[in-house]
Amino acid sequence: MNNDVAIKVVNMTKSFKLYSDKANTLKERLVRGWKNKPEIRTVLKSIDLTISKGETVALIGVNGSGKSTLLKLMTKIIYPNKGTVKTNGKLTSLLELGAGFHPDFTGRENIYFNAAIFGLTKEEIDQRLNEIIEFSELGDFIDSPVRTYSSGMYMRLAFSVAINVDADILLIDEILAVGDQHFQDKCFQKLEELSNSNKTIVIVSHSLGAIEKLCKRAIWIKDGEIAMDGNSNKVIEAYLKECA
Amino acid sequence: MNAFKELYQYRELLKTNVRKDIRGKYKASFLGVLWSFVNPLLQVLVYAIVFPYIMKVQTDNYLIFLICGIIPWTWFTYSISNGTTSITNNANLIKKVYFPRVILPISVVTSGLVNFLISCFIILIFVLLGGVGLSWHLVFLPFIALIQYIITLAFTLLLSAINVYIKDVEYIIAFLINMLFYATPILYSTEIFHGSWLVWIFKLNPLAHLISAYRDIFYVHQVPQIFNLLILLLVGLLILIICYEIFKKLEKRFAEEV
Repeated sequence: MNNDVAIKVVNMTKSFKLYSDKANTLKERLVRGWKNKPEIRTVLKSIDLTISKGETVALIGVNGSGKSTLLKLMTKIIYPNKGTVKTNGKLTSLLELGAGFHPDFTGRENIYFNAAIFGLTKEEIDQRLNEIIEFSELGDFIDSPVRTYSSGMYMRLAFSVAINVDADILLIDEILAVGDQHFQDKCFQKLEELSNSNKTIVIVSHSLGAIEKLCKRAIWIKDGEIAMDGNSNKVIEAYLKECA
Repeated sequence: MNAFKELYQYRELLKTNVRKDIRGKYKASFLGVLWSFVNPLLQVLVYAIVFPYIMKVQTDNYLIFLICGIIPWTWFTYSISNGTTSITNNANLIKKVYFPRVILPISVVTSGLVNFLISCFIILIFVLLGGVGLSWHLVFLPFIALIQYIITLAFTLLLSAINVYIKDVEYIIAFLINMLFYATPILYSTEIFHGSWLVWIFKLNPLAHLISAYRDIFYVHQVPQIFNLLILLLVGLLILIICYEIFKKLEKRFAEEV
């Protein structure tokens, strides 16, 4: 793969098996036998996509069009049925904030748990610890158990960890709505800063206004296919026209 | 080789998982971590009280004989039963974040190992107080524990992956572990079956070899059956590789199936 390319998707198809009622236990499998043929739904159809290093790209489309599935394929949470998805560089995905948080442990301890899931070592976390705590603006609460946090505080801590991982590629799924207005602005600023510093960002969002400001390129996904790919102003305009 | 590199990169996750397993499990309880040692001790106590009466056991120092069997056995069952559900219980993580999935079963077996090594001090205390004493044969301990780690990990990998697709595995396993407990010379010595065809059960049961090796070094004070252990090591490595490959095949659809 060319060194300037961050993500390359070649002729990739992903389909899910849909069971009307999934046979999860042995009994169900034995009783129904293998007659219960699943329905196969193709969510993404032969997608070809190249994202270069340093690009900030938005994925837009209506609910269920396959945007989040595409992000999950890029993270390697799921794998394609056909074709390939290749990524180049350290990758972090913010599909859900606070993965691996343990409610009984303090915010500080949870920073370690959460950052470890992203593949950071102890030393790397130590280096970033102050920055993470500062960014979260949790103050003294950082040493209280996470179960005592409000949902806003929880999200702030989680976002601060994820954003400070220092990945080359950042995949973000609809989480711009974190915390209060002040914190949202701060997150947005941080993302702008990252996108200017040669990081690759792929973002799924319905906040078209924010996307238009943040991304130069937008990809419109419609029924599992790329309907349009190009300058974000133009793509969003065409998308809004279709939705109206 | 890539697999090792990735595991090394995620070593902090492995460490925090082990710490969480050991500390987090009993965090809310009064005795805390001590429960992981009190539990097997209470179990030993029950057998030590009950069995000499109903079975007329003739073994000297039966209590120590029991402990040498129960403590490795606890490691094995802890790993198998918690390891089998390690993927399904972490469905949330599996669906949301990428990390090498093998970390989950590996951390269960590893936290079992840490518990086991600490529990070995309990064996030592009993051995000293019971008048059996210590001997240089303890140098074999790491070697025996390594073999047990390899074999336990192999089964844990296999079972954790299959349990994602067929949820019955965890219940079948609970039953099989119960059976295996009586097919392993923990409460009794293999010598009482001398000359019977039942000896074959012990010959084919890897745990029987391991436990008799532990007894050799803690209780009998003799060199364990090195040849048997070497074969066990080779077979263990072979099944570990096979089980790992199966895990790798099955893990691709974990996020869709859990």
